Formats: sequence, structure tokens, C-alpha cells
Amino acid sequence: MEALINQFFEIEKKSLEHQLPHFERNFNRIHHEFTEMGYKIVNPLGQPYDERDTALEANLMHPGAKKITKVLKPIIYREEANGYVLIQKGVVIVE
Amino acid sequence: MSNINFGIDLGTTNSAIARYENGKITLYKNPVGFKDTLPSVVSFRKGRIQIGDKARELMLTQSDNVFASFKRKMGSDSTFTVPDWENPLTPVDLSSMVLKELVNFTQPEQPKAAVITIPASFDTIQTNATKKAGYLAGFDEVVLLQEPIAACLAYSNSQSLDLTEVQHWLVYDFGGGTFDVALVRIDHRELKVLDHKGNNFLGGVDLDNLLVEKIICPKIEQATGQTQLWRRMLSGEEADCKKLYFELLFKAEEAKKELSIKTQTAIELDIPFWDAFLDIDLSRVELESVLRDKFEESYQLTEGLLADNAMPFSAINRIILVGGTTYIPYIREQLGLRSGIPVDTHVDPTTAVVIGAAYYAGAKPMERKEVTAAPSTTPQNEPAVEIVFEPHSKDAEELIAVLIQSPFQGFYRLTRADGGFDTGVLRASSKITEFVPLLEKATNQFTLYLLDEHQNIVYQNTSIAITNGLYNIMGQPLPNDICLEVDEEAGKTFMERIFKKNDILPLKKTVYKTTSKNILKNSDEKLIINIVEGNAGGMIGSNLSIGYIEITGKNLPMDLIKGMDIELHFKISESRDLSVSVYIGALDLEINEVFNPHQRHVALDKVALEINAVIQEIEAEMNDSEDEENFTYLAQLKRIKDHLIVLHQEALEGAFDQSTDRKYQLDEMKRLTIQAYDDLVRHKHVLLEIEEYHRTREALESYLEVATPKQKEEFEKIIRNEKEVLQSNNKYMIRQKTKALDDLYDSIYMKQDQRFYNAFYYYRFLDENEYTDTHKFMKLVALGETAIERENIPELKAICYQLWDLLRVKPKSRDEWENFDGDLGLK
Repeated sequence: MEALINQFFEIEKKSLEHQLPHFERNFNRIHHEFTEMGYKIVNPLGQPYDERDTALEANLMHPGAKKITKVLKPIIYREEANGYVLIQKGVVIVE
Repeated sequence: MSNINFGIDLGTTNSAIARYENGKITLYKNPVGFKDTLPSVVSFRKGRIQIGDKARELMLTQSDNVFASFKRKMGSDSTFTVPDWENPLTPVDLSSMVLKELVNFTQPEQPKAAVITIPASFDTIQTNATKKAGYLAGFDEVVLLQEPIAACLAYSNSQSLDLTEVQHWLVYDFGGGTFDVALVRIDHRELKVLDHKGNNFLGGVDLDNLLVEKIICPKIEQATGQTQLWRRMLSGEEADCKKLYFELLFKAEEAKKELSIKTQTAIELDIPFWDAFLDIDLSRVELESVLRDKFEESYQLTEGLLADNAMPFSAINRIILVGGTTYIPYIREQLGLRSGIPVDTHVDPTTAVVIGAAYYAGAKPMERKEVTAAPSTTPQNEPAVEIVFEPHSKDAEELIAVLIQSPFQGFYRLTRADGGFDTGVLRASSKITEFVPLLEKATNQFTLYLLDEHQNIVYQNTSIAITNGLYNIMGQPLPNDICLEVDEEAGKTFMERIFKKNDILPLKKTVYKTTSKNILKNSDEKLIINIVEGNAGGMIGSNLSIGYIEITGKNLPMDLIKGMDIELHFKISESRDLSVSVYIGALDLEINEVFNPHQRHVALDKVALEINAVIQEIEAEMNDSEDEENFTYLAQLKRIKDHLIVLHQEALEGAFDQSTDRKYQLDEMKRLTIQAYDDLVRHKHVLLEIEEYHRTREALESYLEVATPKQKEEFEKIIRNEKEVLQSNNKYMIRQKTKALDDLYDSIYMKQDQRFYNAFYYYRFLDENEYTDTHKFMKLVALGETAIERENIPELKAICYQLWDLLRVKPKSRDEWENFDGDLGLK
């Protein structure tokens, strides 16, 4: 399932980069289906980087790197009996 | 006396911990990030100690504060100076930190003894240094085991090999940063490392860099006209190039993994600063071209090892693999081809050492006497702690304040149970405050640890739970459930809850439904979207319709076909305005409506339909209850039914009256009368549904043993909120649950051979006149009986399909039952 979510994430990312807004409804629908299946997908793009965030594998561009400027893989959590569990760390570039 | 049971692989690049129990090995996952392994890296930054992945992140940019590969310096007098740290740290100190972090994986268990693995090359001083690190980490007993021996144990135990003669195995360990090869002699289950060779600076990490440098960079240069790309990326002078380097390194690693299974792959690169969008093909042959030299180096060491011991390859019984780099097919193939020895790939090479260590620990008795302390929630030296936090939040982060009332010298650490947050280890003061990030719309469970000066845990509290988004403490609660009416089967509908009573306003939700009937363009057929307020467990007619949309064939730009998707977006504002947005993707049709509480809509034909459905239900109820001779109950039912018949008549007559208030009065009376019926029968109906649910569940449980693991997982998922549903007093919800179990039962049944036996006997005993060709029917029956005798399932299956084909009237399939035409057109 992670592979499928990653592919979906890539398609969504490309469509945003290439400003193709007409897929928004379809993306929302797919997000909804993933949520129903117990997956929570987090795209931390543009967020400030928190060194305590263990859901991320960060590539820090310099010692004072603060902002997440590129997301190579999203964070994926899955709902289990006792709550959410991280199943894929996000891979990001921080500048 | 119990055994040690815990095994630790204290690696140069990565470490891991596992436990032996009842013949099985459990590999512990890091509760922070949930990986099997922990990078052997420690960082110290602004008073924060981080161990593992987060420390490794800092290696490129803040190397002064990050320490890695210290295993190579074990037993030396090297020290590491840490800013703001009193004394310089030794490799033993850093190793003990990694060991302590591994022990945290086993919480709430606190192992007091462990088997720790060491390279075959470790001398006495290095060995003793590793022991010391173990004691510093809080172990009372440390037993050391050579890594090649551990790997051999993992391979032999996992395959239960019974070795009765002397054998020689080669342990080929190609890890992330180092390469080692060892020759092991196995003599009646006695294992001994005869000799070993290695290179501390030959590993898989370099492969990703080589792939970028030698293969990917030239292709980018060719496509973009750039030059000296590799050098520019590493120099760090151009920010864009440096950023690209990180991306390429990540993609090269992904491509390397893909090329282990496929012969071709591609990476996509969007490089906006050069206005380039590239699709770069990579082949396994290319990967092998950069790998070849590395492999050669490792192979020469292997040959050298055998030559030193005057042994030909033919004297080796098997090669076993250790380390992630050995996943690469080229390495496995070349090793097998060139040495002519079977390469054993039965065990995951990345965890073989820790698994072997755990096997050894499982058979090794503890020498020191185990002191079993009586379980106590407040140990004597546990500090008195008060924790203050807001349990419900709608913010992205919340404050956790910790007040330590007794004098305390040491450290603290806060982690989130989903694995996505860890403060690292920080110096504690009497008042600690941390702003913690929250996972949206989830209960965030935090654990607070207090650690003494030696970083041993002295206090732990797992009960810090902060719920985000599920409650909003500032808003108004919804007084009743808000439901959408949907088709259940032909002529029957039920209410699906959209928002729950006491949910806090404002609210919004999107649901996806499908059409349950065809609505042709320009026809009078209609799709009805009815939103009601009331009790989701009650009958539809007893609730108040607060939003009603009819989409008729005349509104449609083309035919609406059964099975099309409908997207419904509901929004209720704080002032209780209900906005409904309907979108039918196939027609690209969007309808938006806003309903205010004071605008009531009553569709009399819909009212008539609801009344009629209840009348029919009452009649069925009266028929079912006749035998019980409960005349009072029957009289009550009849009274309600008579009243509804009058209302039904009025609804039909008043269908054209659009000017008076009569329709509102009628609607109100309908609601109250149906409510009276609902109150009378609901308890009984809910009990019947619960009984049916339990029957279905029992039947399914007895059938689960033949289910696939995925189906078993599905079962667990269905019953997860069973208690909540059974106590909901909502027969529709219980019925949906029963249906989910029924569907699962069917899906298990459809995978069993038994179904063909059942189908055959069903067809076998139908009247021969039901078949189009009696002669053929008789013949197929005879063939079927023979197939059953021979237990020939494929043949029986074919015969069943033939018999079905011969039937004049085909029995309805489950799909056909599901494929009803609904009243509303929405399911």
C-alpha cells in the first residue's frame, strides 16, 4: 500500500507543480479512500522543520536550515488498534 | 535459573536488539520511527542528545556535534569533545548510549543481561571495551559473541539444520560501511571462527554515491548541457546543486532497490532552475558496472582468506550472507558462480547477526542471580511529578508542562506513541515546558521519561493523551444526529449518520455514494437527497427533514446510469445553516443548496412514500406477532396503522396543494405517529438485530480457520468497534455490521473447494425439467459423482459451471441481489 500511496503522492505533486487544478476532486476522493482504509498521509511541504520530528528523514542544506522546501516522500501513518502508527517516514529537503 | 534471551547487534553503522522466547525470535522495533534498526550515531546539539536517525541527519551539516562509526575506535584512547559537556566522551560512552537506546525498544521490559556481538577482528582490549559499554548501559551481565558466529547461528537455527559432520562456512558480510569475510568451522554444532579479513571503509553507502556520480550525473549533463555537475554538487557553493545532490542520492537508493528486482527502472527529475523535466532510464547492467570494482575488492579479500588458510573453495559447504548490500542480485550471482558454492539466502541479511545473537542468548543461562523486584508503581527513588496539559486541542501543537516537586538531577525525554515525535534527551530542571506537535484528528499519546545522571530511566508516565480536532471545546454541540437517507434494498431505505449528536459546530464532511437506479434525461424519475435530523436509530419518517434536494431527469444534461459516483459535501455552520453540495462526476454536474432552519421543505409525495413504507412494515409486524396473542400490542399497532392510512390518503390528495400550511401539519403528524410506532417496536427490533449479529459472528468465527490472513485481518477490523455499535440502539448500524460479516463469510466461502461440492449437490437434486438438455444433465451428474469420488476439484468445478449453463432459469447471484433499484436512487 505504501508504494501505491507514494505513486499517488507523486501524481498529485506533479499536477500541482504543473498547475493542473482539474484533478483536485479526484485527489480529494482518493485521499478520502485512503483515510477510510485507515491511512493518514501528511505532506509537510512549506512547514518549519522541527528537529524533534521523528516522522521525517531530513536532508539539511546548512546548519541553520529551517524550512521544508521539497518533499521526496510523504509521511504515512496507519490506524491500528491503539491509535496511529508511523509506517513510512517522510523524506524531505530542508533549507 | 532463566536464560539471557536478549541479543544485541552493536554495529558500526546500525544496531538492533532481539529477544528469544519459546523458540521464536522477536526483533524489536524502534518506538520512535518504527524501524528494525537504529543508526549507531549520537548527536549533541544545544543541550539535546539525539541517538539514531535524527542524529544521522546532522552528519553533513554539523559534523562537530555528531559522532558515528565510533565502534572502529573501541578500545583506543580517542575521545570526543562535546560542547557544553563536562568531560570528553569515549567510544565506550557513546556505545553505551546506543545500547541504552536499544534497551528503550523493549519497554516495559528492562533486560538485565544481554549477548552483544563484536567483529571477529576485535582484540582483547576492544572486547573488554564493549563489555564496559554494556555495563555502563545498565546490564548486570554481558556475554560477547563474534558476529560471524551469530550469523551462522541465525542460518542454522532458522533452518533447523542437523549438522553431523564437520563443515566450513564462509560468512560474507557486506554492510553499509564495512566489509568482513570470515571462515567458520562447524563441528557437531560447535562453531569457531578460524580466520577473517575485512576492509573498514568498503560498504554499500558508497554505491549510491557511485551511481549518482558515474551514471546519473553524465545523463543529466547530456540532457541539460551542464558541466562538472558532480563536483559542483559536492562543493556546496551552489545551493541548487547541493539540493539536487540530496534528491539524487535519495533517488539513487530507491533505484538501487528497484534494480534488485527489475532489470530496468527510471527516475524522474524536475529541475526548475534549469527548466528541465527529465526521465532518466537506469538499468541493472549500469548498476553492475559501478558495483563491479567494489565486488572485486570484496572477492579478492575472500580469496585471500581462503589462500591464507590453504583451503580451496570446494572445501566450503556454504556461503552465508550478512549486510544490506548482499541484497543486490549481482553480488549473490557472482559469489555463487565464481566460487561454485551454494549461497544461502534464507535469512534477512540485515538482521542475521542480531537474530543469531538472540538464539545464542536463548540458550545461555544467566550467571548472575536474577533479582525479581516486586512490581511497584512508585519506586523509592522515583521523583514526585505533576504534569499539566490540555487534553483537547484544535491547535497544531500544545504545551506540556512538567513540575518536578522533589529535588532531581538528570534528564528528561518526551516521545509520541505513533513514532513521529521525540525530544531526544535533555537536561531537566524543576519546571520543564515543551510545545509538542499534534497529529491532526487523532488522540496523541505521549510518554514522559525522567532519566538519572547515567541516563537510566527512573520515572515513566504514558498517560499523557491530547486529542486534536475530534473535539472543539469552544463551539456549540449538535442537539441531534444528522443523517442522510439511503437505499437499503428495493422499497427500503435507512439513515446513514453524517454527524453525531453532540459533535461540535461548525462541521463538514464529504461522503461518496453511488446511484441505485437509472434516471434518464428528461424523464420524471428522480434522485432524492434527503437529510434528516433526529435519532439515527429511529425510523426515517420519525425524523425531521432539514434538507431535501430532488434531481429529476429534466435537470440532467444526459442519462444518469446506475452505479455512477455521487460526491456529497455537507457543511453545518455555527448558526446551523446546512449547505449541501452534490457533484456527479460522470455528468460534471454540480448542485449547491443552502438550507436554513426556518426554511422547511415538505415534499408530499415523499411523505406518502414514507408513510406507505411504515404501513407495510406494521402489517408485517402484525403478521409476525399474531401467534403471540398479545392483543394489547396488536391493538396499538392497528391504531397506529389506521392513523397512518388516513395520513397517507391525505398526503396523496394534498399533493397538488402548494398554498396552505396543511402539508406542514401533515408532515408533523406523520413524524409523531411514526415516532410512536418506532418507540413501540424499536427495542424489540434492536434485540433481533443483535441476535442476528451474534449468530452471524459465531458462524463466521467457526469458519475463520480456513480464512486467509488478509480475511482474518478484515474480521478484526469489522469487529473492532463492535461494542459501540451493539450498544448504539441503532438497528441500521447493527444490520450494516452483520452485512459486513456476511460478506466476509461469503468471500471466505468463495475461496473454498467445499463450495463446488455444495453447488454440485444443489444442481444434482433440482428437477431434470429445469435443465434445457436432460441427457446432458444426466451425463454431467454421473461425471460429477466420479469427480467427487476422485476428489478432482478442477473437474468438479467445470461440471458445476456446465450444469449452471444448462439451467433454464439461472439462480440469482449475490451481485444481482445487491443490484436492486432503489427508491431514492442513492446508496
